[in-house]
Amino acid sequence: MDVNYDDIEVGNKMPAYTSAPITRTHLVRYAGASGDFNPLHYDQTFVKVIGMNNVIAHGMLIMGIAGEAITSWIENKYLRKFNVRFLSMTEPVDWDDTENTKDRATIIVSGEIVKKFEENGEKRIQCDIIAQDALGSKKLSGFFIAALP
Amino acid sequence: MADKSKLGMEFPTYTFVVEKEKIAEFAVAVSQKDNREQINPIYYDEEAATKAGYQGIPVPPTFLTSSFFWTGGGLIGTANILGIDLSRLLHREEEYEYFGNIYANDVITRKMKVVDMLKKGNGKKSVEVTVLEAELINQRGELVLKSRSRLIEK
Repeated sequence: MDVNYDDIEVGNKMPAYTSAPITRTHLVRYAGASGDFNPLHYDQTFVKVIGMNNVIAHGMLIMGIAGEAITSWIENKYLRKFNVRFLSMTEPVDWDDTENTKDRATIIVSGEIVKKFEENGEKRIQCDIIAQDALGSKKLSGFFIAALP
Repeated sequence: MADKSKLGMEFPTYTFVVEKEKIAEFAVAVSQKDNREQINPIYYDEEAATKAGYQGIPVPPTFLTSSFFWTGGGLIGTANILGIDLSRLLHREEEYEYFGNIYANDVITRKMKVVDMLKKGNGKKSVEVTVLEAELINQRGELVLKSRSRLIEK
């Protein structure tokens, strides 16, 4: 169902989107899909050598999850701009301690409409977004602009 | 430290075909699913895409970042060319501006250049900023996407 311009008001919230807890398998899958094979994202021995405790998710995977959150609500074809600023790193869930690590690996994307305007003959909205983990740590913030019917 | 003489530098243009299978693979990855049957069918089924108002199978919003890794030695090669120290490199900001849809089988030419290089802050807290801008142009000569990536060295 398309979201219509006239149905949206400034201050409205975008439906919140909760990711699956990010696993190392998700990181490997994203590495393969994107071609970003930086070992920082999957090789535990590499991260030890550079003095880190754990592998971290690709920032672009978190942005990809935010993109999925947005396009679960607004059709992909209506997107006009998508901007994010990366704020902190994300460690995946540890299978041998899921209880204590699943929240740091679960990404919640939320957003709020901040502007309605006309541009290039289109009715556009700007929605500020934020992605944080289930512990409240901010991963990225930014906005998207969409042209709506 | 980023080599300031590279400001304005244009990378070699790169032309590639947007592969249908690669789109589904990417959509599975960002939606954290195990296979394509679990994702939005517009990313693998032409009929579903047409029904949803597309002229082909579209790409997810961040898909074209991938092209960055398929050429010029990827991130490592690009960092080397620019004199950026990989161990201090952070991806700070990413922006896409969409001018048209990109579909499976489109032939995309990417033009990328260094549009800014600056130092922010003083002393130990200072960071080196490099901004890359890429334009993606399809087989009909239409600009379909512009991306801006802000990289910093801490």
